[in-house]
Amino acid sequence: MVTFLEVMEKALSGKPCSERDYTLKIFAAKLKEIVKEHDIEYNPDVLVPSDNGLADDIFNAAFDFFVEVGGYCKDTERIIKFEEDEVKQGLRTAPSKVVFGDGQDSRTLIPRKPEDKSPPWCFLGAGGGPVSSEETFLSLVEGYASIPEANSITTPALTSVNGLRIRPRSPLEALGAIRNAVLAREAMKRAGRPGLPIMNTLATAESATSLAIALHPKHGLRTTDGYMIAIMDPMVVDFDRFNKVFAVLSLNAPVGACFDPLMGGYSGGPEGTAVANVAYHFLATLVYQASWHLPFPLHIKYVCSSTPELLWVISTSGQAISRNTHLLSLNLNYTAAGPLTKMCLYETAASVMAAVVSGLSIEALGVATNKYEDRMTPMEPKFSAEVAHAVAGMKRKEANQIVKDLLAKYMDKIADPPLGKKYQECFDIKSGKPSDKYVEIYSKVKEELKDLGVKFQH
Amino acid sequence: MSEEEIIGKLCEAVVACDMNAVVKAAKEAIEKGVDPVKAIENGLSKGARIIGDKFERLEIFLPELLIAADAMKAGLDLLLAKIPKDKTLKKGTVVCGTVKGDIHEIGKKIVAALLRANGFEVYDLGADVPTSKFIEEAGKVGADIIGLSALMSSTLAAQKDVIDYLKAVGERERYIVMVGGGPTTQEWASQIGADGYATTAPEAVKLALKMTKKMRR
Repeated sequence: MVTFLEVMEKALSGKPCSERDYTLKIFAAKLKEIVKEHDIEYNPDVLVPSDNGLADDIFNAAFDFFVEVGGYCKDTERIIKFEEDEVKQGLRTAPSKVVFGDGQDSRTLIPRKPEDKSPPWCFLGAGGGPVSSEETFLSLVEGYASIPEANSITTPALTSVNGLRIRPRSPLEALGAIRNAVLAREAMKRAGRPGLPIMNTLATAESATSLAIALHPKHGLRTTDGYMIAIMDPMVVDFDRFNKVFAVLSLNAPVGACFDPLMGGYSGGPEGTAVANVAYHFLATLVYQASWHLPFPLHIKYVCSSTPELLWVISTSGQAISRNTHLLSLNLNYTAAGPLTKMCLYETAASVMAAVVSGLSIEALGVATNKYEDRMTPMEPKFSAEVAHAVAGMKRKEANQIVKDLLAKYMDKIADPPLGKKYQECFDIKSGKPSDKYVEIYSKVKEELKDLGVKFQH
Repeated sequence: MSEEEIIGKLCEAVVACDMNAVVKAAKEAIEKGVDPVKAIENGLSKGARIIGDKFERLEIFLPELLIAADAMKAGLDLLLAKIPKDKTLKKGTVVCGTVKGDIHEIGKKIVAALLRANGFEVYDLGADVPTSKFIEEAGKVGADIIGLSALMSSTLAAQKDVIDYLKAVGERERYIVMVGGGPTTQEWASQIGADGYATTAPEAVKLALKMTKKMRR
């Protein structure tokens, strides 16, 4: 396995290249070529394909692409490349299980295969979505931790501390990150699940300095939490992110890599995005020594993962990874619509189904493109987790039809989606209970899914 | 080759994202005495608008958009040099960048490319741009618009810092300030006193055109 020091050496001595040339002349150009060479084609009629050959073609294309192109280090302005044997060895020696959480909430994340009956890991919460106050943060996380299927929590991000808006790389950011950890632990205690792991590190710690400050154990973080570190699109890393990786590895804690190849961006269309999504897993395994992965491919225009192209990308790249490796991969989905809308639930159901039957676990979710303050509730991740458990073991062919039926219910609204309501308008923030109206919407959508063939466990 | 044919070639070369062909056609236009204003408006700009529309429909993707924008700029540099200084074609000057602490650039690059395609002169300062740099650069190039991008909710406040800095140095009224990026909303833009906000890149271009037109009245 390539060591972290060897990665640094590669970052310092790789081929010099401007970022522009890497992104346009190397990454984008080669990806287009590889997609053509491997004859990979998006089929809008089959969004969850049962074709193992297609999944393997995408895997092989990603392998060839990664060996040819490598990743890019922004700080050294050099390409980080790996030999074929290094990639193969990295994939062979990557962890095939990781234990997260403490005490009664301790669970083991294991790999899955397409149509696998084993329940997917449910990493639930806000996906780092912004919240306006500590009170909202606490109430939301308590709600997330109360979801029975929750294996780990993805917290929201505080945008201010004591009324002061957080500034990047400032002590306010560090303070926000500390508060994020302290409040999340408190909320989980209130929910009676103190051992649940936080797996999005600290949504407010954008800089390595803030992460390092907040990592002190007295703030409540543990080595059994998951530490998610981003790779920028397209396969770009920098020293600040390396510092985060090094800080986490030095604690012997599990690094998770998150990455969002944009469909319509440098990766091109759905075919290129699927191939790139797989290649990101290789980069993360080797460069970050990631023991788990969090892909969240998004549509460049609609910033969600529920369009037909994105559902195909989730499914095919998920199958490519789960059929050909034992990497631990969880797909994060974003919806276009917001809470208290049927559309939001349809969208998350479609993305979650595409991921789970293709052999992935899930992180759920970014609601309403994850950009609006307080526009998320515990209802959307709860519903997503129920769908995820219900469809484990479902045949891809069956899932394909249900996903298409769901898509027909919302696709015409994707360009102008209903944003729904804020948390405070959908839930009683004190009792943590959803409004009658939201329960009614949830129940109706669940009935519709049952009619389509989803067998819920409860 | 007729004037129309040369202009048509300019347009086609931009649509084909072919920089060499754009440069060749621009040189040909100059040699044959084609009116540079016509060559830009009916050739390069028309091609750029076609590319912008194709990107909007995702018939082409970001790499093609960026390459076409570069190709157009190469042709523009040659043709603009032939236009008398007092005759301006540009719709306005924009200084843009991703705010301090934020290293995400994709959205901003799309906006910059589409602004260029629509006749704006754009100075893209890149990512993680210090607050004062926006103001210094805007003063240097005589900008009409300062465009501030942020992708993270934790870096959003740096947009406010630029506006506050402008106020503090008494230059707020000199510029139109536009904000955008992942977590930005109209509510936020109003709260920090920005002049404009757009959800998508094409909307940002429309807004920039509208606001510069209003400013010039």
